[in-house]
Amino acid sequence: MEILPPVLAPTSLAAIEVEGLTKLYDSFTAVSELSFAVRPGEVMGLVGPNGAGKTTTLRCISGIIPPTRGSVKICGNDLAKNPVEAKQQIAFFSDEPRLFDYLTVQQHLEFTARIYQVANAHEIGQQLLEELEIADKADKLPGELSRGMKQKLAIACGFLHSPKVIFLDEPLTGLDPIGIRRMKNSILKRARDGAAIILSSHLLHLLEEVCSHVLILKTGQKIFDGTLNEVRQKFSQQSADASLEEVFLRATEETKA
Amino acid sequence: MISALFFLQFQSIKNRLLMRVRRLRQPKYLFGAIVGGAYFYFYFGRHFFGGRPAIDSGIGLVPEQFPFEMLAAFALFVIVISAWIFPHRRAALTFTEAEVAFLFPAPISRKMLIHFKLLKTQTGIFFTVLFLTLITRRFGSGGHAATHAAGWWIILSTLNLHFIGSSFARTLLLDRGISNWLRRAVVLILIAVIVTLVIVWGKNSLPPFNLAEISDLPDLARYAEKLFQSGPFPYLLFLFQLILKPFLASDLKAFFFALGPAMLVLALHYVWVIRSNVAFEEASVEASQKLAERVATVRSGSWQNATKPKKKSRAPFRLQPLGPRPIALLWKNLISAGQMFTLRFWIIMIWPAIFGAFIFGNTQKNSGIVVALGFFALILLFMSVIIGPQLLRQDFRQDLASIELLKLYPMSGWKIVLGEILAPIVMLTATQWLLLILALGFGAGIPSGKEVDGFIRVGMAFGIAVLLPMLNFILLLIPNAAVLLFPSWFQTGKDAPQGIEATGQRLIFMIGQVLILALAMLPAAGFFALVIFLCNFFMNPMSAIPIASVVASIVLAAEGSAGLFLLGKAFARFDLSAEMTN
Repeated sequence: MEILPPVLAPTSLAAIEVEGLTKLYDSFTAVSELSFAVRPGEVMGLVGPNGAGKTTTLRCISGIIPPTRGSVKICGNDLAKNPVEAKQQIAFFSDEPRLFDYLTVQQHLEFTARIYQVANAHEIGQQLLEELEIADKADKLPGELSRGMKQKLAIACGFLHSPKVIFLDEPLTGLDPIGIRRMKNSILKRARDGAAIILSSHLLHLLEEVCSHVLILKTGQKIFDGTLNEVRQKFSQQSADASLEEVFLRATEETKA
Repeated sequence: MISALFFLQFQSIKNRLLMRVRRLRQPKYLFGAIVGGAYFYFYFGRHFFGGRPAIDSGIGLVPEQFPFEMLAAFALFVIVISAWIFPHRRAALTFTEAEVAFLFPAPISRKMLIHFKLLKTQTGIFFTVLFLTLITRRFGSGGHAATHAAGWWIILSTLNLHFIGSSFARTLLLDRGISNWLRRAVVLILIAVIVTLVIVWGKNSLPPFNLAEISDLPDLARYAEKLFQSGPFPYLLFLFQLILKPFLASDLKAFFFALGPAMLVLALHYVWVIRSNVAFEEASVEASQKLAERVATVRSGSWQNATKPKKKSRAPFRLQPLGPRPIALLWKNLISAGQMFTLRFWIIMIWPAIFGAFIFGNTQKNSGIVVALGFFALILLFMSVIIGPQLLRQDFRQDLASIELLKLYPMSGWKIVLGEILAPIVMLTATQWLLLILALGFGAGIPSGKEVDGFIRVGMAFGIAVLLPMLNFILLLIPNAAVLLFPSWFQTGKDAPQGIEATGQRLIFMIGQVLILALAMLPAAGFFALVIFLCNFFMNPMSAIPIASVVASIVLAAEGSAGLFLLGKAFARFDLSAEMTN
């Protein structure tokens, strides 16, 4: 169970294209004029202090909430114009697993299979449950599962339709060390298989291990978008051995309003 | 230390009130508050502040000698005794999870925690006292408003302390090896002894209770007076009367006379609770977790399930991975409805009911019971049209908390809306069709007249059967539209609007619902009447009912589809986060 190296070899045109994304709540600007692209095989880390707009960005680009302005394309499909085609390619994992408390583990998979029209769902589902070591819980309700197991169930449901675009919002919350290791490997494996991944986390070591590049947000605005080496070069102040934590702190300090 | 707990309680109340006042800047809360305030004023306030005479509650019809005080004392006695019989858990003062997290590890004594709990319950008691005083003033029960309020406070506070004290006592008994069943047996034996005493005394001292001799209310009042005001009852109910007397005081002098003894009983209860050294913390932690789960369930919109433990439900049918997506939502929501709506349940339960009704109706012709059962089924059917959409909430009202998950699904907005409302439509229609068939079955027992022969009955039943699903479709679109258009009105839990503005919002919503329904029904009713009118020229208008019903249901379906399309667009634009930010 060794962690695989980060993916750095994107294979084709952008799977996620965001242009001028803005989200306003009355007079409050949660995200402002955000543009970026993630290609298949890339893992982009979304970082920033609390209230930077990371979760709002993820929710906008996954179609949960409508942006005030801007466009989002998922595998070439405009999320506003062709939401069904765009969402068919997406899996979204929030920090708190969102499950229906009256459906069993197996029923969650059956339901998800119908929603995403997965013909061979039974085999894939069984395989996922075994991989995630919750096959013996197929008959349990979410209320009978631990937090980590609920997270695993959410992951199984999310991966059932083999998404090409994956959004993860603080994906390691509640997982034990083995679960964390598996999650990291799973992210990298999906990227190798061609998925474009955006990962929002405060855990900088996670970003260091799995991300090909990072996008730093502050008060809803992009302050940097590039590879880890580029971010180091820009914010390390010529200190070659600066840790990502130091770089992150400098990046967010330097751009203080 | 108590000052810190006072601070916590005071600031919590203050902040909650401030938040509610600030919320009035939003029109939806402001209108709610205005409508709710008007409702409360016209219903209660005029009688309280305006010097308007109280509404006659009918108490005046009851003779003066009727022992209200003793009866109320007896009711208190029953409530208090029940606290010693029914509960079975260890003492658990319910705290919120935050209170458990902050206060339990803090250097606070158990007594201080109890004081905090008592302080907290006083807030609830205060609002209950206010409400009860408004009610008792509206329906006029003599006395002064202030003495009523003080009387209610004494009654509720004493009961609250008694419940806490009895829970501590039960826990102490459990700790000393006295099981719940043994405790219950002792209490029940005591009650049996009291009942025996009353019966023996009554047999010796009272004339036997003979209904034939009681011709009017004064007779009954005299008998009740004798029963309660002599023999063992006055001794048995003495303490309970003391608690009630301040509330029942007719003037200030009587109130102050009654206040001392009542406060003494209250003080004794307080000392009992504070001096009980019972470990309630562990059970309280468990209770707080259950409370949090209940709040979460209520927040998810499923307030009916808040007190029910979650159980696994059999799927209503096998869901294939390929096929129309809205069926997946129907399947999911039917599972949430429990075992009542599985194919198996209907096969087991429905056919015997239907055959039973037809056999009973055909074999018991002209029987009054058959006619009554038939009418009962019809009344239930019509009631279900009104109440059903409010009771069956396996739609957006249940899934409001999961709406972000629904928004991720690769489905157009209208398909999600359709899938969400399908389950209550199916459940309601199935129940209504069953009631219709039962009414038809029992109706076979009613002799056919010239106007309503068997053929016409079947035709009318067919017409109703065709109309019902479309009517349910419209009726269920309305509350679901309200969820999507005014989600904050449907918020539940501690963030939900409460009090006057919530009452006002509910009133506005109810009026709106009735208006929209009336508007939706107009075109369908128009087409129905038109078809009947046209058919009148070449056939019996009664025979035209099925045709008119089909036309009317097509109109309703068209209206419903338009509503579904618009609601689908509203779902696509739906942004719960904006509501939360507001």
